[in-house]
Amino acid sequence: MKKFNFLIQKYSVTSFLILLCLQASQASTASGPDFMQSIGKIYVVVAVIVIIFLGLVLYLYRLDRRISRIEKRKRYEK
Amino acid sequence: MKWWKVLGILLILYSLIAGMLVPLGAGIIRVEPRRAAAGTPLVLEVTGYNSTYRNGDTKAWLKYDDQHALSPRRVTVQNDRDLRLDFVIPKQHPGRDSVNALNLILFNPRDGYSVLPSAVFTVGATFGGDISPWLNSVEVTDASTRFHFPYRNILGETIRNTYYHVPLWMAMMVIFAISMWYSVGFLRRRDPADDQRAEAFASTGLLFGILGIVTGMVWAKNTWGAYWSFDVKQNMAAIALLIYAAYFMLRSALPDRDTAARFSSVYNIFAFILLIPLLYIIPRMTASLHPGSGGNPAFASDDLDSTMRMVFYPAVAGWILMGCWISQLRARTKRLYE
Repeated sequence: MKKFNFLIQKYSVTSFLILLCLQASQASTASGPDFMQSIGKIYVVVAVIVIIFLGLVLYLYRLDRRISRIEKRKRYEK
Repeated sequence: MKWWKVLGILLILYSLIAGMLVPLGAGIIRVEPRRAAAGTPLVLEVTGYNSTYRNGDTKAWLKYDDQHALSPRRVTVQNDRDLRLDFVIPKQHPGRDSVNALNLILFNPRDGYSVLPSAVFTVGATFGGDISPWLNSVEVTDASTRFHFPYRNILGETIRNTYYHVPLWMAMMVIFAISMWYSVGFLRRRDPADDQRAEAFASTGLLFGILGIVTGMVWAKNTWGAYWSFDVKQNMAAIALLIYAAYFMLRSALPDRDTAARFSSVYNIFAFILLIPLLYIIPRMTASLHPGSGGNPAFASDDLDSTMRMVFYPAVAGWILMGCWISQLRARTKRLYE
């Protein structure tokens, strides 16, 4: 259930940030909003998304290891 | 860690980074004014997106149809993003309508071409007479010198969602197929491990499906105007997910594990078979807001630009592998609690 909430959260954050970028770029001045001007901001967004994703991957990795250890113990006890 | 798990992680990371950082191509985001009286001069102020108008010879046309377009008297490049186009709209138009919609087409050797459909409406046009001002050919090529994703009107930067929303659905299909495969295997061999895997893959598939629908709703809010439009694809996707949710309810409703496994395996097979008409056949039969409707498959060569394919296919593969990893963990956990 917790993993499920994490995944929901991750996607809402991602979509929210994408929409935020779109909104922020449209609310710009006469010389035109564009990707080049906000490229500094997009790196931050990408960094955030990558961090969130790697965090989830780390969680899965540790879960994988824990399960492997228990399985090995069970096989040994058999 | 098995190699395929690492590969899945790397593919998704690649799709996250490349999908977000590659810039979009040039587009047109503002045209002022939108109306003009036929037979008067028109000064258009145009603002572009990711454009480089100062680079090379920027050309413009107001296109009536494939044979008729107006060329501007003068193109003034104010900066990389802003243009001033001096047109004279003739009184005589090639067609009989007194109100006409003209598309604005820009071309720049570095940006390629950009189009704003129905950019300017002309009113008070007359038919016939001298239509020589309309006889200009629109010379554009698709080539642009930088690598970029396509700019589409209305979508804009949200086109990047193609790398996140769609791969979830494709991965979901594969995961549900694997789940059905294990259900079939269970009915043949009666090995409870098969049924556990079927349930694990079904739960991951349901997760991806829910994420797919939610991300679709967020995208729809921005492009279609509402989170839920009762669009046929949205409806069918919701029904498909409810059918799979019922699979889990069926499992918990049955008294013992063996009965639950047998009945739910049969249900799983039917649930997967239903996905095909629900998600692929019915939406294509009717008009829909969603890409891939009204007779056109969603991923024909026109729908996915070749630059986007470079990020899209790895993303699909990555999510399938991630889905397999998550399902495998669930199945192994279930086995431990037997």
